[in-house]
Amino acid sequence: MDTLVAWLQGTALSQAIVLKVWVWPAAETIHFIGLALVLGIVGFLDLRLIGAFSRVPIAAIRDLVPFAMVGFLLNLTTGMIFLIGHPEQYAHNLAWWLKVGCLALAGVNAAVFEWSVGPRVAALGPGDPTPMAARCIGVVSLCSWLAVLYWGRMLPFVGNAF
Amino acid sequence: MADLLVWIEGTSLATWTRESPSIWAYPTILTLHTVGLGIVVGMSTVVDLRLLGYGRRIPLDAIVGLFRMIAWAFALNAVTGVLLFMSDATTKGRQPVLYIKLSLIALALWNTVIARRIVGEQDGESSRNRLVAVTSLVLWAAAITAGRLMAYV
Repeated sequence: MDTLVAWLQGTALSQAIVLKVWVWPAAETIHFIGLALVLGIVGFLDLRLIGAFSRVPIAAIRDLVPFAMVGFLLNLTTGMIFLIGHPEQYAHNLAWWLKVGCLALAGVNAAVFEWSVGPRVAALGPGDPTPMAARCIGVVSLCSWLAVLYWGRMLPFVGNAF
Repeated sequence: MADLLVWIEGTSLATWTRESPSIWAYPTILTLHTVGLGIVVGMSTVVDLRLLGYGRRIPLDAIVGLFRMIAWAFALNAVTGVLLFMSDATTKGRQPVLYIKLSLIALALWNTVIARRIVGEQDGESSRNRLVAVTSLVLWAAAITAGRLMAYV
């Protein structure tokens, strides 16, 4: 692990991220905008799966999911910038590993949704109740994304970042 | 003004927010501020995308409830924002970027009230509605940028 950290720190990319003073604040700003895109659109879909906004057809919300994907890609990219810039801040940081774990959970949960009830649920019309499996997936999604945000915000307080 | 900021920063509430070792003080207040940001800007974005013509099958009258969530999350951020300001008033009170952020938020809220009316009246697509949506996206992104820059300038 420490070898990997040292190697990353030595790369030209890592040096560039650290030495260009505008890179970090710019990446953080984009990371927050991406956060809002993911939380807003995925959160809205989750609430619909759980049973709120029942007059909204689920297929219609899924039309917005590409924008959540854009937000996620923005955050994956800027997150990599943070990691490559200061790998030593994250490698031994419990909060960071918990954040990555919650991200993995959110990812697996989304995959389970797509491969199980996703297509069936997408065919539901306005006002149709969602099956229990979809409700559970919605709760897990909402909790795991909020946990991703929570552990991200806890990076400087629980661990040693910044 | 300077005296007022010193007084605010010295209140017991400001001192607790800043100095308490409890995870429930500064870290939790900051986290709640970020959750509120995500809900306010995220749910506004859902409305904006709909007004821009994405997710057209979402009935406008079915998403009026999003504005209630936006209002509650905004209230959360107003409270947590005041606490964060108080904890560091002498520094934050002198940052021009804070006042830029507050102005952007005021404009964005005014725009949100207009969006609320459009959604409530189920007033479909028009160039004015698209303008309101784009204005919302730009203002909230700018407010986030100003907020983030408070840590740097």
